[in-house]
Amino acid sequence: MNFKGTLPTLILEALRHEPTHGYRIAQQIKERSRGVLDFKEGTLYPALHKLENEGLVKSHNSVENGRPRRYYRITESGRKALSKDRAHWREVSQAVTVILGEA
Amino acid sequence: MTRLDVWLNEATRRLSRDSAAQVRAEIQAHYESAREAAMSGGARADDADQQAIAALGDARTANCQYRKVLLTASEARILHQGNWEARAICSRVWLKRTLLALPLAALIVATVFFLRGSLETARILLVAGLGTSLFFAAPMLPVYTASRSRIYRVIKWLAIIAMLALAFGPDALKQSWLLISCLWVFFHIERTRASIRRKLQVADWPKQLYL
Repeated sequence: MNFKGTLPTLILEALRHEPTHGYRIAQQIKERSRGVLDFKEGTLYPALHKLENEGLVKSHNSVENGRPRRYYRITESGRKALSKDRAHWREVSQAVTVILGEA
Repeated sequence: MTRLDVWLNEATRRLSRDSAAQVRAEIQAHYESAREAAMSGGARADDADQQAIAALGDARTANCQYRKVLLTASEARILHQGNWEARAICSRVWLKRTLLALPLAALIVATVFFLRGSLETARILLVAGLGTSLFFAAPMLPVYTASRSRIYRVIKWLAIIAMLALAFGPDALKQSWLLISCLWVFFHIERTRASIRRKLQVADWPKQLYL
């Protein structure tokens, strides 16, 4: 399913509980959406870098199972942006549900 | 050359060396995890490789997105050149003082000519004073915070417009082709700097990006 525009919000949500790396973020989004939200994983990293440029996430290098990894963690402004996005999404989805319910 | 190399070559096209290295390291680790997961799910090595590459998607699309958020080779070059110029000026006190004195001298002489009634000479000197102060004196001003820098850049563009209006008068629009051909390098650098500002966090800005 195409979910263009919502990927940054989904990334922030995936980082809400603990810092993690890109591969795990991708897996988390797919698993939590039960495979409905499928996306090309090559587009995940540009979105992560954009969030980093905006100061919504921070990154650091680490090693996992002998493999160098870049870990991302959500910042305080990232949490604020996430709660704003969540409120906005609720509003939009309620409006769409109302319209589709009328049909 | 492996499938991953082909994908990475396309995805890192025209990125700066540092950006390309960052992308390579991250995608390599991602690819290996995806490949391992596919193999532990029962896929053969070649199929696992294919699946991992397919999951990454189109390399050109990724390259297009990377170039919007990471420094490109030309942006890195402009940053490097700017740093070199700043070091060259700031490391020589006499040069720094001369560059500060130039616009001031031009403005003083322009005022003198204006008071004497030589309006044409005063106008030329005023343009020279404005131009040199924008390029030479501005780096010495306390503009190195995000908000001050924004204000400075607005003033800079207003000063540039004023300078062009003073230099060309009512003919400025008629001679727009001349202006564009002379100033396109300047506009290109300004556009590139704006793009770099979006890609770097304020804390990582070198001094030239504030100007």
